[in-house]
Amino acid sequence: MKKGCLLEILAVIAIIAFCAIFLYSSSLAGNAEFAGSDTVGSERIAELSGIPLEEFHPIIPQWEPPSGEVESGLFALQAAVGGIIVGWVFGYWKGQAKVKNHEG
Amino acid sequence: MHIMEGFLPLPWAVFWWVVALPCLAFGIYQLKRILSADREALPLLGVTGGFIFILSSLKLPSVTGSCSHPTGTGLSAVCFGPFVTSVICAIVLLFQSLFLAHGGLSTLGANIISMGVIGPVAGWAVYRVLRDTRVHVYLTIFSACAIADLVTYVVTSLELALAYPAEVGGVASSFVLFLGIFAITQVPLAIVEGIVLALVFKYIVTLKPEILVRLRVFPEEKIRAAAGDAQ
Repeated sequence: MKKGCLLEILAVIAIIAFCAIFLYSSSLAGNAEFAGSDTVGSERIAELSGIPLEEFHPIIPQWEPPSGEVESGLFALQAAVGGIIVGWVFGYWKGQAKVKNHEG
Repeated sequence: MHIMEGFLPLPWAVFWWVVALPCLAFGIYQLKRILSADREALPLLGVTGGFIFILSSLKLPSVTGSCSHPTGTGLSAVCFGPFVTSVICAIVLLFQSLFLAHGGLSTLGANIISMGVIGPVAGWAVYRVLRDTRVHVYLTIFSACAIADLVTYVVTSLELALAYPAEVGGVASSFVLFLGIFAITQVPLAIVEGIVLALVFKYIVTLKPEILVRLRVFPEEKIRAAAGDAQ
């Protein structure tokens, strides 16, 4: 086996293992909601401070995405911006390397 | 790891802002210096920053039955140092607090400290310790990234514990409670993130090893050995 692909294989194994652990634990938990840990954290704050969750108001007014769809769209936008930059740079480097090989 | 808007009492929100601002100022100063010294550093900054954008938008379900997201800050901390990373994180966190209601403007200071300052500092410290040892480049990157991710969530737990000490046991017992929510969810994510970013680093080593040598990210022999493995 080529030593070159070791990291790729490891990454695939890790991602599969991650999914497997997730599927196994979610089948055990049964009623897990998979809410964000931010939300779970906020609930715990309400318990600790004895202030009901509804009593927490933003200190600075905040715009909230009107629905989950809009929110996921904006998250996708964020990832897309990152992806475009990463892809552009790798392409740029690849092109540079090619030019250098031709000259050298 | 976001502390939601309104969930941090005003004095604490102000305190974390006051801690965060000098880190950001220093980061901007460093960024200017690096870029004016070497324009070829800009694409590398784009890659490491781009991965912070991508990874911090992926909310993944984890073992504890809740969702969390990786931070992606380790790679940037290794290449440019923790404070440049703070600047990129501040941009991401500002976007998320303005448009996604994840975190808020008053809690932004605390969130910058956890994701942008202490997490990357921890990852960078791991990298600095391992850099000049015989530990393999990719293992170094893996450890730095996983630690940066995990420590971010430990710091979030600490920030919340300081603001909301439990009636019995005080700060320590509520710290353990918040660790249970944030840090345990994060362990599998941190491991996967470490491996994925090590893989990304491999592609940087294959395509553009010169820039890593020039920025003195790793000694030249180590980069050459790592590139040799990849061929």
